[in-house]
Amino acid sequence: MQNTIKVERAILNITQDDLAKLIGVSRQTINSIEANRYVPSTVLALKLSELFNKPVNDFFNLSDDD
Amino acid sequence: MNTKKIMDCERKRFYKIINFRLPHKFMTIGIAVVALSIIMMFVRAFVMEGDTVWLKVLLQKSLLVGMLLMSISKDKEEDEMTITLRSQSYAIAFVIGVVYALVMPYVEFGVSNVVNSGGEVLKDLGDFQVLVFMLMIQLMFYHNLKRYR
Repeated sequence: MQNTIKVERAILNITQDDLAKLIGVSRQTINSIEANRYVPSTVLALKLSELFNKPVNDFFNLSDDD
Repeated sequence: MNTKKIMDCERKRFYKIINFRLPHKFMTIGIAVVALSIIMMFVRAFVMEGDTVWLKVLLQKSLLVGMLLMSISKDKEEDEMTITLRSQSYAIAFVIGVVYALVMPYVEFGVSNVVNSGGEVLKDLGDFQVLVFMLMIQLMFYHNLKRYR
């Protein structure tokens, strides 16, 4: 799974720490998601969707090995 | 109460037990209990005289309790990723613990025979040794997984 959360975050002009606080996780978790080391739960994905005001598909994409 | 409600009630209780964690302050209490137990173990071994087997058993239990408190206490910032990492650390600790319990008696048997020039008997590991090892592996893996996340 690949994502463009870093881009979405840049559009909103917020830091990893800000985003973490907004969706109630740690900054390290955001860092791991952005680096594609951790695939978040549906709940977290929907929280991000609500925050970015975009469907989940817009910033999460399946990679070739999925 | 119909069957579905009973099942839902049981499921809720089951998940409540699975998701049970102590508050973060118990981590500090656990560390203090472990540190005190280890210090007292050294004191018992090198300073105290007479029959102190009861103290040895008591300290072993307190060490286990301290490590368990450390293991089941929440993180400062508990989220879904730390919950996943904790689950992974328990899984790996279980597997390594079983391998350790299977292999270690033969390693100890081999080493003690080499050191004491034979005549040693094969002994099984005690529960304390296996449990401490498993808790150690769990805590170590959990903190390493958190570091590399």
